[in-house]
Amino acid sequence: MQATDHLHDHAHHEHHHEHNHARANAQAWLRTGLLFGLAFYFIYVIVSGNLANYINARFAWLSVVAVALFLLLGLSGALDLLRGRGADHDHHHDHDHAHGSLSWTALGIIAIPLVLGTLIPSRPLGSAAVGGSISLNAVSAAGAQPFTSDPLKWNVLDWLRAFNNSGDVSSFNGKQADVIGFVYREAAFPGDQFMAARFTISCCVADAGAIGVPVQWEAAADYPADTWVRVQGTWQVGEFRGDTVPILHPTNIDQIDQPDHPYLYP
Amino acid sequence: MQVTEGYRMQAAAADADVKKWLRRSLWWIVALAVAAVLLAAILGTGQDAGTILSIFSTRFLGIFIEAVPFLLLGTLVSGVIDSFLTPDDIARIVPRNPVLATIVGAFMGFAFPVCECGVVPVVRRLFNKGLPTWVGITFLLAAPVINPVVFVSTYVAFGFGPVLVGRIVGTLVVAIGVGLVFALGARTQDVLQPGALMPAMGGDGTIALSRPQTLRKPLRAGLRDALANANHEFFEMGRYLIIGSMLAAAMQTLVSQDVLLALGRGPVVSVGVMILLAFLLSVCSTVDAFLALAFVGTFTTGSILTFLTFGPMVDIKSTLMFLGVFKRRTVVYLIVLPLLMTALIGIWLNLNVAF
Repeated sequence: MQATDHLHDHAHHEHHHEHNHARANAQAWLRTGLLFGLAFYFIYVIVSGNLANYINARFAWLSVVAVALFLLLGLSGALDLLRGRGADHDHHHDHDHAHGSLSWTALGIIAIPLVLGTLIPSRPLGSAAVGGSISLNAVSAAGAQPFTSDPLKWNVLDWLRAFNNSGDVSSFNGKQADVIGFVYREAAFPGDQFMAARFTISCCVADAGAIGVPVQWEAAADYPADTWVRVQGTWQVGEFRGDTVPILHPTNIDQIDQPDHPYLYP
Repeated sequence: MQVTEGYRMQAAAADADVKKWLRRSLWWIVALAVAAVLLAAILGTGQDAGTILSIFSTRFLGIFIEAVPFLLLGTLVSGVIDSFLTPDDIARIVPRNPVLATIVGAFMGFAFPVCECGVVPVVRRLFNKGLPTWVGITFLLAAPVINPVVFVSTYVAFGFGPVLVGRIVGTLVVAIGVGLVFALGARTQDVLQPGALMPAMGGDGTIALSRPQTLRKPLRAGLRDALANANHEFFEMGRYLIIGSMLAAAMQTLVSQDVLLALGRGPVVSVGVMILLAFLLSVCSTVDAFLALAFVGTFTTGSILTFLTFGPMVDIKSTLMFLGVFKRRTVVYLIVLPLLMTALIGIWLNLNVAF
C-alpha cells in the first residue's frame, strides 16, 4: 500500500514538475541576479565609504563577509542553472515552506534594498532625523574617559562626558575647544544660538542617538541647519534650554565638508 | 483504489490552491493597509517627503546592511546541517533521563544553528525517530536562540551586557520550563499529530515515509544542495527581515518620540507591545537583535528582552508550522506558556531591576 503510494506520489511529482519548470527557471535566474546585485551594491557601499553612514566602523568587516557570501550563493546558483540542474534540485527534503515556488512578490521584496540603495543618494542622519530628542548627556560605555589627554582634540562626545563626570561645570570656564558637528536648531532657540550636533551609534543607525553642545554666535543665522562646521572657541557656563550648562563661545567658525565618519562611536 | 486516490489528490490540490490564494490575498490586504497608514503618518510629520524618504532609507539600509551577514551565515549553516547531519545522529546522543534530556534539548541548538523556521521540520523528523516529546519541545523553543550565530549577532547589537545575558538565560529558563511541564504532564499520543508519531506508537508515520531513508550524502552533492537550500532560505527569510526592518525604520522615522515613549515607558504596556511586535514580525532569530535595537532608546529593557526571548519561540510563521506537528491543544500551550513566562520575566525586570 505504502509502496504504491510512493510511486503514485512520484509520478504526480514529475508532472507537476514540468509545469513549473519554466517558471521556476526564470525565478532562479532572477534570484541569481538579485544575489549578484546585492553583492555589487555592498561592494559599492564599502568602497565608496558610504558604509560609514550606516554602521559602526568596527563592524565593517561583516559587510565584507556579506559580499563573500552573496557571491558564493550567486555563483553556485548560476552554476546550477548553467549545468541544467536549474530549480530541479532535490524536492525530497521535508521543509514545510514551499521550496521552489516563491511568489514574484517575495522576490520583489528582496529587491527593495537594492532599489532604495541605488536610487536614493546615501546620506548620514542629519538634523531632520533628530526628532526633538537631542541630548546633552553623553552616551557612555561604562565609565569611559576621553582617550587623548589633549582637550583640543576632544570631540563633542568627549566634552559632554567630561561635563557629565565633573562635579562643577564652571571649572571648564575659559577652556579652549575645537569641535566639529552639524548645525542643529530648534524653533525655541534664540536667534544667536545653535547646537553643534553629532549622532552616536554603537552598532548601527538603529541605535543612533543625537548629542550636541550649544554654541553662541551673533551671526548664527548664517549657518543653515545640517551644515557641517568646525567651531573653535572657549567655554562659558550659561543658560540653555532651562539648564545651566557650558556654552561654546566661538573665536572662529569654519564651514567644512561632511567628515568621512559622520557618526561618533562611544 | 487508484481512482479514489486520484480524486483525493485532486481535492487536496484544489484545497492547497485555495489556501495559497487566501494567503496571497492576505498579504495584499496587509500591504495596502500598511501603505495607507504610512501615507497618513508621512503627511502628519510636516516635513517634506524627500527628507523623510532619505531618513527612512538610511535607517532601513542601516538595519539591513548590519543584519544581512548573519542571515546569510544562518542559512548557510542550516543548509549544511540539513545535508550532512541526520536526525539519527541526534537521536543517538539524547539521554534517557527526562530532566537531563530536557537540558540536552535546550543546547541542541548548537548542533542545529537554524532559524526558527527550520526547527520544526527537524523536530518532526526527530519525533519520528522516537525522540521524547518534552525534549523536542525544549529544543523547539530554545534552538532558535541557543546557537552561535544568534549569540554573535546579539553581541554585535547590544554588546556584552544584560541584554545578551538575559536573552540566553531567559530563553533557557522558559524552554526548559515548558519542556518540563510536558515531561511531567503529557502523554505523547495526546501531544503529537498522528503523522508525527512513530509507527510503533500508533502513528501512521506518513511523514517519515514521504522522505526516503536518509543516507549521508556525498560531499560535493551535499555541498551543492546545502548552497541551493541556503539560496532558497535566504529569499524566504530575507523578506521577513526586510519587512521587519522597514517597519522598524518607519516607526523611528514617522512616529513621534512622544508616542514611542508612551508605548515604551510603561513596565507592563511596553512588554505587551513588544510581544505583539514579536509575534507579527516573524523575523529570523539570527537578526532580530538589530530590529530590537531600533527601540532601545524608547522601550524598557525588560520589554526588549521579552521581544528577544518570545519572538524566536512563537510567531505567525512558526505557529502555522506547529500545527503540522502538534495537536491543536498542544499548540495553544506552546503559545500561551512561553508568552506568559517571557512576559512575566520582562515585567518583573522592569519593576525590580534598574538597568
